[in-house]
Amino acid sequence: MTGQADGKMPAVSSVIGRSCPRVDGADKVTGSALFAADRRMEGMLYARVLRSTVPHAVLRRIDAEAARAVPGVAAVYTAADIPGENRVGIIVKDEPVLVDDRIRRVGDPLALVVAGNEQALAAAMSEIEVFYEELPAVFSPEEAMAGGAPAIHGQGNIQSVTRIVRGDVDSALKEARAVISRRYTTQMVEHAYLEPEAGLAAVVDGLVTIWVSTQNPHYDRREVARVLGIGQNRVRVVQSPTGGGFGGKLDISVQCLLGLAAWKTGRPVRMVYSREESMAASPKRHPCVIDYTSACDGDGRLLAVKVKIVGDTGAYASYGPATLKRAAVHATGPYEVPNVFIESYCVYTNNPTAGAMRGFGVPQVAFAHESQMDLLAGALGLDPFTIRLRNCFRPGGVTATGQRLLHSVGIKETIDRARAKAEELGMLEGKR
Amino acid sequence: MKKRGIGVGCMWYGIGNTGAPNPAGAFLDFLEDGTVLVLTGCADIGQGSSTALAQIAAGELGVNIEDILVVAGDTGVSPDAGATSASRQTYISGNAVLLAARQAKEVLLQEAAGVLGAAASELGLGGGYVWRGGERTPVTVKDILARCRQKGKLTLGSGWFNPLTTGLDEAGQGVPYATYSYATQVAEVEVDTETGKVSVLRLAAAHDVGRAVNPQAVEGQIEGGCLMGIGYALLEEVKVDRGRVGNPRYAEYILPMSLDAPEIHAIIVEDPEPTGPYGAKGVGEPALIPTAAAIANAVADALGVRFYDLPVTPEKILAALTAEGDHKSPDE
Repeated sequence: MTGQADGKMPAVSSVIGRSCPRVDGADKVTGSALFAADRRMEGMLYARVLRSTVPHAVLRRIDAEAARAVPGVAAVYTAADIPGENRVGIIVKDEPVLVDDRIRRVGDPLALVVAGNEQALAAAMSEIEVFYEELPAVFSPEEAMAGGAPAIHGQGNIQSVTRIVRGDVDSALKEARAVISRRYTTQMVEHAYLEPEAGLAAVVDGLVTIWVSTQNPHYDRREVARVLGIGQNRVRVVQSPTGGGFGGKLDISVQCLLGLAAWKTGRPVRMVYSREESMAASPKRHPCVIDYTSACDGDGRLLAVKVKIVGDTGAYASYGPATLKRAAVHATGPYEVPNVFIESYCVYTNNPTAGAMRGFGVPQVAFAHESQMDLLAGALGLDPFTIRLRNCFRPGGVTATGQRLLHSVGIKETIDRARAKAEELGMLEGKR
Repeated sequence: MKKRGIGVGCMWYGIGNTGAPNPAGAFLDFLEDGTVLVLTGCADIGQGSSTALAQIAAGELGVNIEDILVVAGDTGVSPDAGATSASRQTYISGNAVLLAARQAKEVLLQEAAGVLGAAASELGLGGGYVWRGGERTPVTVKDILARCRQKGKLTLGSGWFNPLTTGLDEAGQGVPYATYSYATQVAEVEVDTETGKVSVLRLAAAHDVGRAVNPQAVEGQIEGGCLMGIGYALLEEVKVDRGRVGNPRYAEYILPMSLDAPEIHAIIVEDPEPTGPYGAKGVGEPALIPTAAAIANAVADALGVRFYDLPVTPEKILAALTAEGDHKSPDE
């Protein structure tokens, strides 16, 4: 870092490319980092959300009078208490902060209880009466896409469609030496960050100030301001040290509810999800059904792929449209394919919401395109490395969206290096 | 009986949002004692972005990383940097910080140029000194900062970066990302044909990240991603019954643990991206993406039976082996 000793200017490489200790390392290791759940303020209240137990219903009425009368309860808020817009969502504003008309999933937030202690919270929660009329629900995207399915958001359940079309797939399939068609299914998974959702809000010097575990404080600010009907400059969101996110802390969780409670009560309010609440209420990875057809010539060169991806985004869009669009763009894998027909569907159901999760639709399609590559290799008697090297992008290659890749196209080198490492370790012995 | 198999998984991943603007901004203040304040909206969620951004600012300004303070994710003071998602922050916020640092540095270099009778373009900063054509001058950075302040010049910078993309047209054609990361992972598994249990023995994971700003952090991402990929391939599933999560507890939702961790050989491939800060792209999501694919292929290699639905659980393996024993039908 010094550089003066040898009379040369310190190179940038003295800091770039160096494994510097993490700037937040000491605080995390010593336990001095103040996570949102660690925060306390004078006069602080506690909050908890009452959630729906049914997947699809018309909400008729919430009777919270008895709950409000529980000693220690400061307030019980419902949709009617929201001063601004009662809809949030990163891409589509389709999700209520507190349900005002229709319940669309188990776990939808119905009421927010605010109290001076946890015991009063628990007592008040059980005093709230919810009156609703159940509606037919739909739990599979196939059924949700079919005619006559219950419409979860008023119109059809197909939230978005992405199509990528290039060349002539049908002709290419006729010329192919090997054609493989398979259906792949992937499951819903949980992010499983170490720290469940948590936050604390207070009105400080006239600003609604929210300390929260989040992946996007500026998005949170926009949503809180809209929901409260105040200027963005009246809201300050401070990201607290965050114990992982993996995409699961991109959506609004506690932010708007805490902002509402602090704004209305004028007191600091804290909310921390239990693990169970976190797992039941937070968005998940999209389960997908992928129908994949690949075709190659006698040398194993890809001629065409035809892919249909259906992703279950659950009750709300969240990052679903972007996830399914990304899945479509990446569906060929890192391979040059002259003829493609790819379509992906993001579909509403009454399942838990699926949103962003590390990989954003690409782990799903990678499982499919990489299985397909091995199946093609098997059909032609090729080594799995060989078929990938024959097809992988090179500088100058063109993607399914027609993008010419000019720089930093390292896929071939990763294949070579991973294979060399596997060989060095003896992993390939007796295999090829 | 235990059967061993090898599988390959490749992937590519576009850095940043898909065919949509997703800028990030940063502010930088070169303080008069030579320390530096970086204000960024970029949320460090444990992946190490604040460290990487400190390194990028330190690299540009020629100061020690210890002299950089990154204030991140406070909307009261920092500009919008968009989401910590899409493996975008090293590339996009990294560029924003780099541009902010260049702007502040330019004020210093102009001032130093006057002192040294040189062109600003010949000058650099490093180790507390101003450098000219690769030679150290006697002029210190603190001298220059003091001269700037005497003249009423603040050494501030701001920067923002938005990757060059286009939306996709009706046929899905366009430039959805400015750059892509790539990876190949090779998995070695052992499958117990009596119990159906799959053990992942070794993973070789080669990732083209453009340039590793902090190699240990990149390795950490790769190792963590591999573990998450093992969970995706073999263990994890949220069970949903009529819309209700049936296993919302870790007693029932099975995650990979340290004892499930294989030997992971992280290989950093650096094919620099010209538009990236020092050539960097991203690695956060790529770390996980090819793992399940590689493991599924390794299980197919071990057993000669292929699985088309994740996760590949012992129950599915035993059912498939039983069915295979009954019919002896070749899979591929």
